[in-house]
Amino acid sequence: MTPEHPTTTRNRYPRAQCAVSVALCTLNGERWIEQLLDSIASQQRLPDEVVVQDDCSDDNTVVLIEEFSQHAPFEVRLEVNENRLGSTANFAAALTRCRGRFIALADQDDVWYPNKLQRLIDELELDPTVTMAFSDADLIGPEGQPLGHRLWDTRLVGRTLRKRAVVPEELFARRALTTGCTMAVRRRAVAASLPFPAALDNEAAPMRHDRWLSLVAASVGTVRALPESLLGFRVHPDQETGVLVGAQLPRALGRAATAVLSAPVDYSNQTHLARADQLEAAAERANEMGDFEEAHTLTEIANHHRARVQGEGSTAGRLRSIVEGVRAGAYGWDRLGLVAIAGDTVRSVRPGRRSKPDTGMKNGSDSL
Amino acid sequence: MLRKMKVMMVTDSLQVGGAEQVAVDIANSLDRDTHEVYFCATRCDGLLRSSLKSDVEVMVLERSATWDLLKLLAFGKYVRSEGIDVLHSHGRGTMRFIALCKALGIISAQHVFHDHFGRMHLDRSAGRGLKIPLHRGVDAYIGVESRLCRWAIDTVGLPAAKVSLVRSGVDLERFSTASPIDLREEFDLGEGNLVLLMVANFRPQKDHPTLFQAIAELSKAQQESLRLVVCGSTTADPAYFEGCMEMLERLKIHHLVRTIGVRNDAPALMAGADAGVFSSKNESGPLVLLEYMASKLPFVATETGEIAHAVKDAGVGILTEPRDYLALADGLAALLEMTPEQRAEMGERGRQLVITEFEQHVVVRQVEAIYAQLLRICVPSDAANTQAS
Repeated sequence: MTPEHPTTTRNRYPRAQCAVSVALCTLNGERWIEQLLDSIASQQRLPDEVVVQDDCSDDNTVVLIEEFSQHAPFEVRLEVNENRLGSTANFAAALTRCRGRFIALADQDDVWYPNKLQRLIDELELDPTVTMAFSDADLIGPEGQPLGHRLWDTRLVGRTLRKRAVVPEELFARRALTTGCTMAVRRRAVAASLPFPAALDNEAAPMRHDRWLSLVAASVGTVRALPESLLGFRVHPDQETGVLVGAQLPRALGRAATAVLSAPVDYSNQTHLARADQLEAAAERANEMGDFEEAHTLTEIANHHRARVQGEGSTAGRLRSIVEGVRAGAYGWDRLGLVAIAGDTVRSVRPGRRSKPDTGMKNGSDSL
Repeated sequence: MLRKMKVMMVTDSLQVGGAEQVAVDIANSLDRDTHEVYFCATRCDGLLRSSLKSDVEVMVLERSATWDLLKLLAFGKYVRSEGIDVLHSHGRGTMRFIALCKALGIISAQHVFHDHFGRMHLDRSAGRGLKIPLHRGVDAYIGVESRLCRWAIDTVGLPAAKVSLVRSGVDLERFSTASPIDLREEFDLGEGNLVLLMVANFRPQKDHPTLFQAIAELSKAQQESLRLVVCGSTTADPAYFEGCMEMLERLKIHHLVRTIGVRNDAPALMAGADAGVFSSKNESGPLVLLEYMASKLPFVATETGEIAHAVKDAGVGILTEPRDYLALADGLAALLEMTPEQRAEMGERGRQLVITEFEQHVVVRQVEAIYAQLLRICVPSDAANTQAS
């Protein structure tokens, strides 16, 4: 069968050729990569392939992967980028090469528990409408020692996720809830998410690959959150994903709240416009796949971001617009919504400042 | 001589839908020597009223809200005055309505709840709004699929003895007497094409987009050799319908598809089609597969629900994974490649399977046994043995 009418206007993602792929992105990870690969090789359910995309490591990472591939119980397909792409584009490249029906994402510095892949794939196989399943993780130190914390709690999403078996697209639109290494995704969601839109790279509010992928997955299907911990998530100074533990947490939260409440108008406006573009891109993908209701929800949230962009109007006019947003429930009624209402209110009465705030958090705009 | 058991089917409406059709079929096929049958649509009337046998007493309550007190009292008064023994509700909203009547002491009839809930993939929980009425206002629970029965026992905590699995059945008489409609002529489909019929209201759950994407995946020649007639309400979710129509235009397959709205002559439409198709993402039944089989239609459908799982290996249709348009496209291509004789054989196998396993009388005997058990009337043991446990 040769399709003459592709179902979307984007490049077509090929059919699955195997059951399970692992997409692994690496960059100067020689210190931990062997532990990760060994933990994947010890899975109760092995993947059919591990697709490695190396982002121009200048240490021994590639050599170690090549050595591992000699005796790995599955195919290891390594590709080294010609130029450094950065984490999000690198994952896009890896996902494009994956051939599995189900694709699990891996970070180079983690340790998977033996049941991780089995548990996530079971969840996807049980219900064909599930496009993504993700779990919690235990935080471990640079030497692998347990830190006694869970990932969800340190990212302040534990309460939200534990009370929901299914996480709706609306929640993913409002905040980052997942970390790539905890998730497995159905091919439908990966197909809908590729290619990653240019809007993700907006400097004012970049959206990482894992947030984009989970947003699209929730828009074209069902996303399930599994509260059990299925891996050790390593906390170290060089990692991409920001994690706060112990005394760092309340201090950084205070700084982040202050920054959000006092963000200058032009920065805040740029952030809202960036988010609106990203959500509209996700809505377009959902619409293409026939998930019209979800596309509508995302478009509404994008419209609200645009409505929050503050112009030259009067203070009263700006406050009226906030009240309308609150009455329509557009902010949401969680902690994040309340902070956003407070921030918009502060900016509408003192809209003078112009510089970008320091949240004190890595990827702060994506996390909060 | 024993007094006949008075049974009332209770649904939200008499509009065309899977749960409503099951209620009508049970009402029509209960044994008239031992049962007197009533039907109550608590909200509104609909096209299915004309399918009810003439001896069924029908009332339309026109309640405007879930807790419409005046209608609640009127319903209670009617049930008491008629001396109804068993209220058989379909749909969770209707179940709550009757459970409230029981909790308020307005009625004392036995309450059988027939659960057709088709969104278990989104909601496997059981909050107080479900647990309380199920525990306090329901005397017997019927699930149309084993997943629902497990949920009732494990999540809701109903005793296994109260829970029964009764798969949907189909009233063959409706299909034996239907005169085929010439779909090619009626809908200007041209000659020489394979006419596929999809019977499903335009609602997101039915996932028409996956079917449209699957058709778009076929080669040009395959596309031109088929036509699709979609029968179902276009007003149930106007935004969804509009999205589907835009998608047909975008995929450039709108000329292959006819949407004909809701009809009360589905058996005649099925008799005039060459094959059935069904692309739902999640179902508990779905009854429409039995209707295709009763009409001797081979079909391509997504594998969701008790009936789809039950007929999976029977060679009566091609089943594919829900939401996977590539798999559905493969299914359609396989159907197109079959010879007319092969399709006819597949349709015949479906009809035979319905006769042996899904005929309405087989199903309704199980339901009658549940009523009898509630009222402590002796019934043959083989019919009574339907408990999910």
